[in-house]
Amino acid sequence: MTGHTDPTADASGDLHAEPAVDGEPNVSDESDSEPTADGELNSEPDAVAGSEHGEPRPDGGTSPAAATGEWSRSETALSTLVGRPIVVGVVSIVVAFLTLPVVVTFVSSFAQSATGVVPRGFVTLEHWRQVLGFGDYGVQTNAIPGLAFSLAIATGGMVLNVLIGVPVAYALTRYDFFARDWVNTFAILPLVPGLILGIAFVQTYPEHGRSAFGLIAGYCLLKSPYMVLTVQSSFQSMDLVRLEESARSLGASWPRTFLTIVVPHAKQGIVAGSIITWTLAAAEFNFTYMVASGSPDPFAIFLYRNISNATHLQSAAAVSVYFLIVVAAILVLQMIGNSGFTTVRQR
Amino acid sequence: MSVRKSATSSARRVATLAAATARPTTERDRERRRIAIMCLPFFALATVAGFVPLATLVRLSLAEDAVWIEGWSLEAWRTLATTAEYRWVAWNTLWFVGLATLVSVALGVAVSHVLEKYDLPLERAVVAAVSFPIALPGIIVAYLIIVLLGRQGLVTNAIAVATGQSALDLASATAITGLFLGYVYSLLPRATMVLRGTYAEVNVRAEEAARALGASRWETFYHVTLPEIRPGIVAAILTFRSGLAIFGTVLVLQSHRVITLQIHDETSVGSYDPDVAAAIGLVYVAFIVAFTFVGLRFVESDAVEI
Repeated sequence: MTGHTDPTADASGDLHAEPAVDGEPNVSDESDSEPTADGELNSEPDAVAGSEHGEPRPDGGTSPAAATGEWSRSETALSTLVGRPIVVGVVSIVVAFLTLPVVVTFVSSFAQSATGVVPRGFVTLEHWRQVLGFGDYGVQTNAIPGLAFSLAIATGGMVLNVLIGVPVAYALTRYDFFARDWVNTFAILPLVPGLILGIAFVQTYPEHGRSAFGLIAGYCLLKSPYMVLTVQSSFQSMDLVRLEESARSLGASWPRTFLTIVVPHAKQGIVAGSIITWTLAAAEFNFTYMVASGSPDPFAIFLYRNISNATHLQSAAAVSVYFLIVVAAILVLQMIGNSGFTTVRQR
Repeated sequence: MSVRKSATSSARRVATLAAATARPTTERDRERRRIAIMCLPFFALATVAGFVPLATLVRLSLAEDAVWIEGWSLEAWRTLATTAEYRWVAWNTLWFVGLATLVSVALGVAVSHVLEKYDLPLERAVVAAVSFPIALPGIIVAYLIIVLLGRQGLVTNAIAVATGQSALDLASATAITGLFLGYVYSLLPRATMVLRGTYAEVNVRAEEAARALGASRWETFYHVTLPEIRPGIVAAILTFRSGLAIFGTVLVLQSHRVITLQIHDETSVGSYDPDVAAAIGLVYVAFIVAFTFVGLRFVESDAVEI
């Protein structure tokens, strides 16, 4: 912003606008250029023009000296000259850093060779076939059962999360009770990392911990904060007390109110939370690595195997499988009004 | 005597409260029952899947026989306290994750500033691109770093072609810089997400006033915007916790010994020491909980997103 011209530009802009409203857009600009056009109208813009020239003076009598000094300093301020380009440059690099490897991975999963700077030999589905177990050779004979198993477990964790997350989110938003802050902290902050929980799980439930039930319970607990936060922000945007009291006063029982009035209103948050928890559970690695027994291989282990001992392009295809899941999830999330994997409240 | 009396009376009060909650007579009781019912499923799960396993870890760390969890011994804790290597691992973890967090928060401020203040082309796409990595597990992050900096990596090969050096010498994915970038890759989107929430609530008028009074862009940012987003910055620093939990990235890149890798090694076949692993894990969880609660004192818990 060039400070010196700004106030006058603003002022003249305003003053130009006024005569324009009066009906003669051109008159105001040069009051003496069209003196004969209509003298009656002319007097008005004249007065306005007079005030335009006069106005800065009365209060400007004290300020111009100080103002010009201040403004001109800001014009030459280093941050004004280089700040924006630098910040935009940094952000571009950051966005490139975050995006580029994802794009390159996805694209090169269709390439035939990856020597040199850019992958070459498009388009082949060979790596995808290998990864998914349809090729002649591969890390696994057939990855589909493992994937299906993992997706089923993630779904189980998601359903369980709806069952435990929605009520606790409602209680935390609607009521003020003893130890509310503590419960809130436990519900929205993942305090135990997946790795530790995995070790503890295997030690505590040596027989059942490695089963599908163990994985479902673990995924549910690890991802529950996402569900609670998302549903909570949904609840916070509605007038819970009034909604509930109207329903109650019309004769609905409390469980009925909750199930048929409150929950449907929070549908968006519940769907968003489900998608987020499902997607994150599908690829939860730390917990799975410690707990999973390997038959069939959960998706996270499938990814790990493909990343640690497979060719570069085959890994790319394996990782791209998950990208596709995430992109699908983000698209659905945006469709229902969430901007991707955030629990940040919508403005 | 009086202690016993007060203990008895408080026990009685709790019992009365529990009875009233179970069989409510007043609306207040009924409300209390509702709260209890709604929190119950969560606590059932947290107990079965969280508290009981953690209690087992405590027992394991104190067991004489770590395989069958029998007997009592302080050996694991003594090992942990006296071995210099563990202190070295702890220090390694703290500075490495701390530095990654600071870099991520600084970059996160820049990104959220630009997203909030500037008119960008494809802003939605940028938001999606920045939040996309939140969904990626650590092993995938490790792979993406290999894509950039590995032997066949994009950056490696570009530099190799430009300078004529060998790509094998330039590859830094499995060097500490590669791991550091992996940490930043994981933490930056989280920090940005928290900061964006705070930026949305910044009072724009104060900034405009500062600019109108002649403050430069930097002065406005430093004196007006920065104090307003300070809670967001503190909340973003809490992503330090996520940084401590990163495991997959370290497991694949293996270039710096941090605590998660150490725990993994203690439980793997070569050096099987589950009791020491349990003790490390407990210290680790205790540290995270303490850090979180101390951090929450400086920030409203509303501002903390994951």
